[in-house]
Amino acid sequence: MFLRNYWYVAATDSEIGRKPFARTILGEPIVLFRTEGGAPVAFEDRCAHRHLPLSMGKLVGDRLQCHYHGLQYDRTGRCVRIPGQDQIPPDAKVKAYPVVERYHWLWIWMGDPALADPARITDFHWLDDADWGAKSSYLYVKSNWQLIVDNLLDLTHLAFVHESTIGNAALAEHATVKVTRAPNNVVVTRWIIDQPAPPTFVKVGGFTSNVDRWQIIDFTPPAFLRLDVGATPTGTGAPQGKRVGGITMRNLNAITPETEKTAHYFWAQAHDFDVKNAGLTQKIFEQIETAFHEDVAVFTAQQRSLDAIPNPPQVDINADTGVIQARRILDRLHTQEQAALHATAAE
Amino acid sequence: MQDADGWQRVAALADLADDAALPAKLGNRRIALYRLDGKVHALDDVCTHALALLSQGFIEGGAVECPLHGARFDIATGRCLAPPATVDLRTYEVRIEGGEVFVRAAD
Repeated sequence: MFLRNYWYVAATDSEIGRKPFARTILGEPIVLFRTEGGAPVAFEDRCAHRHLPLSMGKLVGDRLQCHYHGLQYDRTGRCVRIPGQDQIPPDAKVKAYPVVERYHWLWIWMGDPALADPARITDFHWLDDADWGAKSSYLYVKSNWQLIVDNLLDLTHLAFVHESTIGNAALAEHATVKVTRAPNNVVVTRWIIDQPAPPTFVKVGGFTSNVDRWQIIDFTPPAFLRLDVGATPTGTGAPQGKRVGGITMRNLNAITPETEKTAHYFWAQAHDFDVKNAGLTQKIFEQIETAFHEDVAVFTAQQRSLDAIPNPPQVDINADTGVIQARRILDRLHTQEQAALHATAAE
Repeated sequence: MQDADGWQRVAALADLADDAALPAKLGNRRIALYRLDGKVHALDDVCTHALALLSQGFIEGGAVECPLHGARFDIATGRCLAPPATVDLRTYEVRIEGGEVFVRAAD
């Protein structure tokens, strides 16, 4: 199940340059490149002539030239040169996708181009904000994208999957959890009061006694999860909104389905303390990266289970509230999108 | 502890909010307290469908929606309003005295 009328992260800014770059998104093979002026361009990755992926071709100025018979496409996807022939058939064109560069990511619109409003790009300003230190990365995941969304909405798993970094038993056993929902948003707020800090927090925050820790998870469809996380020495007022003497971070996640069984996982960790300290940014990043590799191993194994027995029965527990509310939103949006598509097709 | 008539103090009135349920224990039973239009209601906290805690659910229009599977119950009466649950929630008598909430464990 995919939602199409959304901006997705297609690539990091540094992945895309003057060499055509292939990436499949929502099951559609896409080629990305930059013009000589640096503007990002995305086409369907298939020559209109004999179907060779255009990503095997090369750039000639701002034109993408097919590797097979040399057809050249301008930045709108229109074929403008066929070697040895003056007439260009009107169907000699490839689909061009709207692309916007923002927050060091390249965003692609996968739906009706008429609806591609850049104002709808989800806010990830922390990646591009002088008040924050941040480092981002990419993981290729061999699982359905919704398993990653589920993971980030139920952080009790930190106690079991990530006990060497960001987890400890207190997270699962001593959290107070509040889930709030809006038509297209779920927020899970977790507070863990007067409990030991997990290993990563001790390393980067220098905590020597118990902390009040928060995890505020914001889910925005289709697959954006922005986590406000941190801790302060216990009893200093963080639950009342006064964050002093501790650390605040953002764990930022943008998941882009590749296929029904694979996903592109763009993520970043940002921090609001000692923001110019690149060594600290790196140290925090490495802690979270360790944890995320542990997650990827989980997703891959879950997908193997689901491949072996599709749609098995499953039990829901109280910690699933955020997960279930988010899936309900995604199901509703998918139904609405499909209904609108069918209505359009019927016209 | 319950008195001879089965009443037990379960919470301070000040701990109740209009938009959130307050889970409490009545003996060994998990109950949830709700405040609607200034009146306090006490109901079983465990969904009659699949044992989710309703105090973690969503309060809308005088009803509580189960956080997991969407069953809805009338807060004032405990009546089941929406599937997948089919059985009503048990309700309890409530008394407010000196800023404290007392609930009566009915037989």
